[in-house]
Amino acid sequence: MGNLSFSSLIRRPEAGAFLGMVFVFLFFSLFGGSTFTSFAGAASWLNVAANLGIIAIPIGFLMIAGELDISIGSMVPASSMAIGILSGYWELPIAVGIILTLLFGATVGLINGLLVLRTGVPSLIVTMGTLFAVTGITLFLSIYITNTTAVSLSAPEWARAVFGSFYFNSYQVIIAWWLGLTGLYVFFLHYSPWGNWLLAMGGDKESARNAGIPTEKLTVALFVLSSTSAAFVGLCQTILFNSAQVSSGMTFIFNTIISVVIGGVLLTGGFGSVIGIFFGTLTFAMVNQGIYFTDFDRNLSSFIIGVMLLIAVLMNNTFRKMAVSYTGPKSKKRG
Amino acid sequence: MKFTKKISAALLASVALATLAAPVLAADIAVIAGSANDAFFNRIKKGVDDATLVIEANGGSVNYLTTQNYDNFGPDLVQLINTAVSQGVDGIAIPVWIAESQVPALKAAAEQGIKIMMYNSGADVKDDISGINYFGSDEFVAGEAGGKYLAEQGAKKILCHIHVPGAVNLETRCDGVVAGAEAAGAEVVRLPTPASIDSDVTGTSEALKAELLKDPSIDGIITLGAWSADAAAVAIQQSGRPVKLGNFDLSPSVLDRIKGGTQNMVIDQQPYAQSFLAATMLAAYIDFGIDLPTDPILTGPGIVDATNIDAALAGVEAGAR
Repeated sequence: MGNLSFSSLIRRPEAGAFLGMVFVFLFFSLFGGSTFTSFAGAASWLNVAANLGIIAIPIGFLMIAGELDISIGSMVPASSMAIGILSGYWELPIAVGIILTLLFGATVGLINGLLVLRTGVPSLIVTMGTLFAVTGITLFLSIYITNTTAVSLSAPEWARAVFGSFYFNSYQVIIAWWLGLTGLYVFFLHYSPWGNWLLAMGGDKESARNAGIPTEKLTVALFVLSSTSAAFVGLCQTILFNSAQVSSGMTFIFNTIISVVIGGVLLTGGFGSVIGIFFGTLTFAMVNQGIYFTDFDRNLSSFIIGVMLLIAVLMNNTFRKMAVSYTGPKSKKRG
Repeated sequence: MKFTKKISAALLASVALATLAAPVLAADIAVIAGSANDAFFNRIKKGVDDATLVIEANGGSVNYLTTQNYDNFGPDLVQLINTAVSQGVDGIAIPVWIAESQVPALKAAAEQGIKIMMYNSGADVKDDISGINYFGSDEFVAGEAGGKYLAEQGAKKILCHIHVPGAVNLETRCDGVVAGAEAAGAEVVRLPTPASIDSDVTGTSEALKAELLKDPSIDGIITLGAWSADAAAVAIQQSGRPVKLGNFDLSPSVLDRIKGGTQNMVIDQQPYAQSFLAATMLAAYIDFGIDLPTDPILTGPGIVDATNIDAALAGVEAGAR
């Protein structure tokens, strides 16, 4: 860490993701005018990034380890309904609702992890199974219990302050959670032994196990983490919007994976960084929300999102290749 | 005797089969609808469930087919139509949302003698697919009523948010909002949002807020779904401006807001009546040749606002609204 020079910074794996983000930011600053970069405008994409990012980093961990979890798409609405029914419909104390909802998330994660380990079926397929299963159970239970697919919830003041309210008029409290968790995850992946284990697992699971890494425990833990994170986002959304509905989370599947890949995680696993995912999520959120600040025809929104994301990823990839092959300034030959 | 036993068993079986097959004339129908995850389609389903009681009492059957989601909506609907046809149904009750995809498939079904009853959406293609009748609100008329309502409440520039760009009924709703609002002297801006934030409350809320920040003259929002009204309510609260809010389709939180005074109105098309009537009248047409002279039959728009919120809440309790 001693030689913190420009060349060492720019050679970090997340530098490419950072440049992609800068490009997107400049693009929308140019076309979105001053509101995009204003205090209230920035909240618009930061809020979206925070909701996405809390799930994206655990998904990134799974992808680094060579796994995938798409069941989060059903966990967000399921946990949203869970807390809505527990604390809204049944009027249980909000703390009980929150704890049970998080436990529910952890349980689904545990099921995912154990199924992946015990059956050997690819995690994409296992979690696709739980994706549909949880969606179905959520719908069935919510109709069975409440006779509707949407419930309202008005959380007490303290719960709103911690999980779902706005600060400085437009910044969701979940941004603080996102930053805090990102810090925690940076430590986990880059400064703790578990991080090396994770990267080793994604590189070659067999050798990792032979080297004495508890790959099975780690896999289950990662699924529990992603599922619980999705439950957390679901409950925060419910507390913020005072409302839960059965369908709300499917976009998270695609959007988290996109954010992770923009952040430089390889689809094949074994490589990636938390800060990269952090930048990737911000990039995605800026692209997604930035168009509403521009004067482009709104029918072109999807087109612009597609093109911008592609450019961001290409920049990241090109840059990473350059960074990896960069050898630094040639040392002056002596003698 | 084993042999006689066998014969009598065979006889019994054929009698049983004959009894099962006896009401062969009774209508076997399919009702096709959108994803059951949508609160709206649970009212539709309740209507179908209640209609099923009547149809089964007459010896017919009802098969309720729904799409998984809206990601591949047109092709998924065509797939369901083909499923119903291959099951040999006598009639299909169906909304037409994606006309380009559905009309050819429904035309083919009609040519095979399958009766088509329409509900909820697509009244204008009724003749193309030989539809018997249409039960639903006229999306245009409903939008018109909504646009007029907000304009008369004092809105000058209304944002019409479309969460699935290109869906016929949503675009027509906004067309109606434009017509109703302009007739009452207000302007309308259409906002289609991409699939990447469909059903995403946070993303949609921030998108709406961004529009409000960008254009300070917007003073009214109409969303075309209940969840997007939740998103809009937060966006409005964040903008700190007195923006008037209306939406299509009821939900508990929408009604809470109307009761609490933070939302102006909701446009209800009374989906329960649409599916219940479409299914029962399709069976009645096939079984008894009953055809109603009123065509189309409008089930909406009914506007719920502060004046009639309590009656509407009672309907919600019953699960039919």
